[in-house]
Amino acid sequence: MPALLELQRTLREQLFGLATGGDATDSDAASVRTLLAGDDGALRLAIYRNTGLGTLVNALRLSFPAVQRLVGADFFEAAAREFIRVQPPCSAYLNDYGADFPGFLAGYPPAAAVVYLGDVAQLEWAVNRALHASDAASLDLGRLAALEQSALSQLSFTAHPALSLLRLEFPADAIWRAVLEQNDAAMAAIDLATGPVHLLIERDTAGVQVRALSAAAWDFTARLSAGRPLYAVLADGSDGDVDAWLAEHLALGRFIDFSCDTVAAATVARGETR
Amino acid sequence: MPGTITHSVNEHSPIPAAAGIGLRFPHHELVVQGRPQVAWFEVHAENYFGGGAARRVLTCVRGDYPISLHGVGLSLGSAEDLDRGHLRRIAELVRSIEPGLVSEHLSWSVVGGQYLADLLPLPMTEEALDVVCRHVEQTQEALQRRILIENPSTYLQFRHSSIPEWEFITAVAERTGCGILCDVNNIFVSASNHGWDAQRYLNALPSAVVGEIHLAGHAIQTLENGRTVRIDDHGSSVCAEVWALYVQALRRFGPKPTLIEWDTDIPAFEVLLDEAAQAATLMRAVAANHACAA
Repeated sequence: MPALLELQRTLREQLFGLATGGDATDSDAASVRTLLAGDDGALRLAIYRNTGLGTLVNALRLSFPAVQRLVGADFFEAAAREFIRVQPPCSAYLNDYGADFPGFLAGYPPAAAVVYLGDVAQLEWAVNRALHASDAASLDLGRLAALEQSALSQLSFTAHPALSLLRLEFPADAIWRAVLEQNDAAMAAIDLATGPVHLLIERDTAGVQVRALSAAAWDFTARLSAGRPLYAVLADGSDGDVDAWLAEHLALGRFIDFSCDTVAAATVARGETR
Repeated sequence: MPGTITHSVNEHSPIPAAAGIGLRFPHHELVVQGRPQVAWFEVHAENYFGGGAARRVLTCVRGDYPISLHGVGLSLGSAEDLDRGHLRRIAELVRSIEPGLVSEHLSWSVVGGQYLADLLPLPMTEEALDVVCRHVEQTQEALQRRILIENPSTYLQFRHSSIPEWEFITAVAERTGCGILCDVNNIFVSASNHGWDAQRYLNALPSAVVGEIHLAGHAIQTLENGRTVRIDDHGSSVCAEVWALYVQALRRFGPKPTLIEWDTDIPAFEVLLDEAAQAATLMRAVAANHACAA
């Protein structure tokens, strides 16, 4: 009698055939025949395979609707199945499944002609993350007001879990909108050679927002939201209105917490820089 | 171990012995805006692990209705350890919405850290029974409350299974103090697929621990070899045979919270209301008959 773990490993191989690169071996098939009652166990096992694969393909469809429209449902399903084979989900929380699908698509030879596919997928994953990220209360500005003026520049911030920043080679935001709105005219007007786009993706009360920033504002925001102290971000230099950017981030609740680096504060108070 | 769990029955909104509906995303807005007359709702826990709009809707619906939380991904039957992160997320959701009931399945979905995205059947063995009981106890400990375990629909059986499924699930309830979620459609589907006697299955379940009933539609598929298999796809109305078996369940268990589940090709909300009304009518009729007979 097979132990439960052995049985579950055998069924995984039969259902998704991962260790064998997609094709279960004859010995696996034989071991399944000895496991399952009746003479049609393989046919019955296929029901579970179809349900499981269907659920996972559907989960990817829900997270990547624009990618699916760009390549068509059949192409998408083939790509999704290949992705599921090489990188199956490790958790039953399927909203978290697909983080690596954009990278997979970018290196998926059959999709090579759609040069911006990986960028659009990256944007869709950021949108998906923003949609499902945990709730978190915005930073109480009263706490900042209570700080000494000299401490302000020493702050570093914790970004809201729904916030992300993407720098993409192609105008993925324009493509994404045109595809989801099925706006052929907008799609036709897109110039792929406009250079990189700098996007901020976040969630507000109306839903997920995708905003295009200037390169300078994006750079400032990306460093700050990655936890780099304000003084260091300022020392990096920026040709823009950093006060206005910071005020906007705080007003829109893009940060949920801060910490104050007192050692750095003392350093700066002595007029030194790091 | 029975008796070691402090059963925190939710005094404020227990799930009533009435017909409820499985709440799915296409009906979120309608339910929040229109507050339809429904006794209670059940939701899939995994759909609400995150924040944002989904969690906001759930919190809002919870303000107006009793809510039952139904997990589909904990994989109580995995030979390996439970996914602690998954259990933590369920516990956080339970603390947040204080559901009237919490349930999971007698099945497995995870092996080697990989999620296989379906409720897979267990061999009915002493080893599997030990595994499930251990995981039910860990879950009840983590949630600090009793859970219900649902009988699965299955399409295949293992040669070395030695315990009838109805005895297996009864043993889990006896050993762990958990309740049973009796899915009448699943009993019908599995009984048809394996040649079991559905009535005998029902009669074998201990009435006192049945805390909820599920009803759903299923599909019939013909295999390459010409045999038919009933597939639990939750994609149609409850069929006549399952309504008949539901009446048998009500006679045996008495009135119980009864859920209409519909997950694929989700219909207009009115269709679900009609199905729930049908369940409510049968519940009243059986209760009235009991009163007459008494």
